[in-house]
Amino acid sequence: MASKAPFQFADDSGSEDDNFNPAPADLTDDETAKSDRRGSMAADNDDNDEDKDEERPSKSASKKRPRDDDEEDENGDEEEQEENDDGEEEGGDVDGDDEEEEEEDEDDEDVHRHRRKRRKDLRSAFFDIEAEVEDEDEAEEDEKDGEEIEDFIDNAEADDIAESGHLNDDRRHRELDRRRELEASMDAEKQAQILRERYGKRASNRAYDEMAVVPKRLLLPSVDDPSIWAVRCKEGKEREVVFSIMRRVEERSGSNNEVPITAAFERAGPNSVMKGYIYVEARRQADILVALDGLSNVYPRSKMMLVEIKDMPDLLRVIKTPSLEPGAWVRLKKPAKYAGDLAQVLDVTENGLEARVRFIPRLDYGVRDETLSTPTADGKRKRPGMPGPRPPQRLFSEVEARKRHPRYIQGNPQTNTWTYMGEDFENGFQVKDILISQLEVKDVNPTLEEVTKFASGSEDGTENLDLKALAASLKDSNVTYAAGDVIEVFEGEQQGVVGKAISVQGDIITLEVTEGDLTGRKIEVPNRGIRKRFRPGDHVRVIGGSRFRDEVGMVVSIVDDRVTIVTDQTSQEVTVFSKDLREASDIGGQGSLGQYSLLDLVQLDPTTVGCIVKVDRESMVVLDQNGETRQVMPSQITNKLPKRRAAVAADRNGSEIRLDDVVREYGGQQRQGKIIHIHRSFVFLHSNTTVENAGVFVTRASNVNTIAAKGGRINNANSGPDLSTMNPALKRNPAANNVMKPPKTFGPDRAINQTVSIRRGGYKGLIGIVKDTTETHARVELHSKRGLVTIPKTDLIFRDKVTGKPIDIYSRSGRGGFSGSGRGGFNGSVGWSGGSRTPMGAGSGERTPAWGASKTTARTPAWGRGETSGSRTPAWGDGSRTVNPYDGNRTAYGGATTYGGSRTPAWSSSAKTPAHDGFGHGSKTPAYGSGSSDPWGSKTPAYGVSAPTPGASGADSWGYTPGASGGSHPFDAPTPGAGLGAPTPAALSAPTPGAYAAPSPAPVSAPTPGAWQGGWGADAAPTPAVGAPTPAASGGYYGAPTPAAYGGAPETPAATGTIQYAEDD
Amino acid sequence: MSENFVAPGQQRYLRACMVCSIVMTFSRFRDEGCPNCEEFLHLQGSPDQIDSCTSPVFEGLITLADPSKSWVAKWQRLDGYVRGVYATKVSGQLPDDVRTTLEEYRVTYIPRDGSATELD
Repeated sequence: MASKAPFQFADDSGSEDDNFNPAPADLTDDETAKSDRRGSMAADNDDNDEDKDEERPSKSASKKRPRDDDEEDENGDEEEQEENDDGEEEGGDVDGDDEEEEEEDEDDEDVHRHRRKRRKDLRSAFFDIEAEVEDEDEAEEDEKDGEEIEDFIDNAEADDIAESGHLNDDRRHRELDRRRELEASMDAEKQAQILRERYGKRASNRAYDEMAVVPKRLLLPSVDDPSIWAVRCKEGKEREVVFSIMRRVEERSGSNNEVPITAAFERAGPNSVMKGYIYVEARRQADILVALDGLSNVYPRSKMMLVEIKDMPDLLRVIKTPSLEPGAWVRLKKPAKYAGDLAQVLDVTENGLEARVRFIPRLDYGVRDETLSTPTADGKRKRPGMPGPRPPQRLFSEVEARKRHPRYIQGNPQTNTWTYMGEDFENGFQVKDILISQLEVKDVNPTLEEVTKFASGSEDGTENLDLKALAASLKDSNVTYAAGDVIEVFEGEQQGVVGKAISVQGDIITLEVTEGDLTGRKIEVPNRGIRKRFRPGDHVRVIGGSRFRDEVGMVVSIVDDRVTIVTDQTSQEVTVFSKDLREASDIGGQGSLGQYSLLDLVQLDPTTVGCIVKVDRESMVVLDQNGETRQVMPSQITNKLPKRRAAVAADRNGSEIRLDDVVREYGGQQRQGKIIHIHRSFVFLHSNTTVENAGVFVTRASNVNTIAAKGGRINNANSGPDLSTMNPALKRNPAANNVMKPPKTFGPDRAINQTVSIRRGGYKGLIGIVKDTTETHARVELHSKRGLVTIPKTDLIFRDKVTGKPIDIYSRSGRGGFSGSGRGGFNGSVGWSGGSRTPMGAGSGERTPAWGASKTTARTPAWGRGETSGSRTPAWGDGSRTVNPYDGNRTAYGGATTYGGSRTPAWSSSAKTPAHDGFGHGSKTPAYGSGSSDPWGSKTPAYGVSAPTPGASGADSWGYTPGASGGSHPFDAPTPGAGLGAPTPAALSAPTPGAYAAPSPAPVSAPTPGAWQGGWGADAAPTPAVGAPTPAASGGYYGAPTPAAYGGAPETPAATGTIQYAEDD
Repeated sequence: MSENFVAPGQQRYLRACMVCSIVMTFSRFRDEGCPNCEEFLHLQGSPDQIDSCTSPVFEGLITLADPSKSWVAKWQRLDGYVRGVYATKVSGQLPDDVRTTLEEYRVTYIPRDGSATELD
């Protein structure tokens, strides 16, 4: 009794109460019903008693002593009960008796379903007496009778009123009854055997309900319970020891040296820390020595440890094996051949013991059989299954299987399921039912490589990776926290707390709370219930077991503990667990692998190069010259190609393109990008607008158009190769070729404070005031917008503040340059303007090229300015020499010009007549020329020559030019001529007769040879026109000087003519 | 009478009852049924039933010498069972129909695979 738990006592008292109250009621019923029911009641009673009797012996049959003790206890209890009963009520005795029975019931630990038991007790409380008295030995009744009675009593209870008078009788009866019962219990052992046979099973089955009702916490051990000692034993023999103890217990039971322990157990699982011990429950330590003495493999004489009461439940703690879900990853343990191999769970049997898994077979298809069957040197056969080199993992191949074992294979090619050598194969995987205990379920940590093998096995070739399952199997892997991590507690009492880790010690993380009421407090939490916390926008690096390891990116969304980030490198979204992330301080992530880094150009084989577009942990992805990506190992790369800064290629238009130029594909997708590599005829471009291949794509150089060249290199489609460099004439005279710097102007730039309009670019058309200038640029304060913008001076048109007319603010200064320099100027101009320097002049008509050039070379312009007379023109006209060209030109004009060549030539140089002609001004030109009276006129040619020049700057310029030249005389503007002429002057200036010849056509040509011709009409059309174009093609101006160049264009009559003329001259 | 003793060589045939966790050999289950649960499990003579209601996967053997007095028995809810060898943990789950049967017998099933302890 002493060992009874408190709750049981509580129960008892409960039932006592029950008994006390209704007791009298039943008594009356008893009276009325007595006669009818006596027999059956007695039976019931008897049944009860005997039940006890039979149970008692059944339990204690084999161990007498404890039983005896029990009985003594019981007796003691009974007496107590009696006292109680007496004190309380007259009928107490009856109850006492009843109680006693109940006690016995419980003593036997044979706890019945509560309700029923109580009922029974009530009943028996009143019927016992009679039953016992009248026919104690009546046959045992089965439960049915009892139930009948139960019904009866139920009815009876309703109406009955207690009559205490009868209780005295009952009491006496009961005393007698009890005495007899005691006697009966004395010889219970004798009956036990029989009774147990009859009732044993039923008795033992009555326990369940009761047990489930009792919560575990009420079962916690107390000092009244036996103690538990840990006893050393031989490791690995724990089970055997437990069974040996069992045997000893059974052998000695019933004898007079029963094993004095109540239980012994072991907890030596394969991964247990409790190996090498068994735990024995006994009252005294000495009992254990007795019990274990002489048993093998257990050492009670070595140090025996008493387990503290509070630790006892832990000894028996059971942790549920995590259940397996289909799709989960496991590792095989059992067939040695497959030990450690990854397998995927397909199904789990209902009882949760077996799992159907699939894995990649390691088959040799009998190749090794022969070697196995031949006896080895020592005459013994090698045992199959011996650890040898195990075959590599390979999907099942029907063909190979048929080679050697055609008989052992059968299956269905349709479903691709086979049975081979007793194993099942589906889709190449081996499928097998394996005990879960033979699978490694925890810490599987499948690698990406392993998993992909399974994924690629799917029929349609699609990747059917079940990331969720993968995640689940990875989830158990260790999470590491570091000081500084922002952590959220999601489990336990501190749930919801957010803080920053201060220190990490083992499994305990100390947090400083950063949010909520606890802010500032430091709390310690176990690492089990916490996770790292991030916010969208955080920059993080993937760490740990994820296959995205080492990616760095920005958090874009968070769902539970899954965090989606956009990687810096590839701009792809990847989802990983927050545990695998850490705040990243660096950007871009791992961009290199060994010596290779992202966007490097590498040689894959002698004919293939590629650009690295992705760098992984062990491999990288390379976009080769054919636009294909491939994954390569560093070892597959022949070498890295250094970046060649000087690499140059020609784009579709023949313009040179270099690294860092921005080009656009012609046709196709018209992708645009910056050149990062030029290799032979391929260019690798990088674009920020696409994420594919890290924005890198490859195309042929001949398939791109230049959009912007780095550093503003001129990439005019009209400009050809720089012929000046090939010009022997120029080369001959290197001095002249030297780039001449524009003459310095002293003092503040005149441009400052001028009103300007902007000719091109984003600010085109806006008007502003120049605030500051450099050599090439001006800072302009726009009227319409705040702030200063920097604009190339060439894009500015200076205007009169009031009238808005374009003006030439440099007109004064131009002069100096004048004559001699003139030519040089021209040359020089080549130098700086890069061909069409003309534009320089652009601003103002008058200045004309010379001007424009003003800084540089003014000369021609001198007169261009129109200051004086045409007469001069010729005068200085080195240009005059030009004459020759004229002739040619003239021809063109043909008859039109009366003036005859004579004059023309005069100013000719400048006039470049041809130009004029083109416009039909031709006639005029001469007129002008002739009509020297009109300064303008005379100039015209000059104009033509000069003014236009600027025109060169741009197609528009033409239009302008005229205006510029003489706002008043649009016509004079000879515009077209100008345009044409423009170069001319330059050409003129060029000392070489030949040179100037060239020019004439040149400028013109470039634009529209055809047009010209047309313009000139039938007249002379061909000659000049033609002449013009040709050079034009060659690149205009430059070409001009070179007679040779001309020669190149023999077709041109003009050209030839020119030459001739020249000679004539 | 060492009926509960199982020689080491026979231990591979051991199975544990999923209801009461008693550990016996398969053949003994077949010949005698489960001493505690036979009333509703009917293991005797039916290997299929034994297969579904007992498990070869168990750990932590307990020798129960005196189920009525042992705290271990009480804690494991083995009090009331017969003396014998029990397991602390029995993996596996009872088939649903057997569970239903248990309910009919008003027997509260205590899972022995550790899932019950998590509830406490």
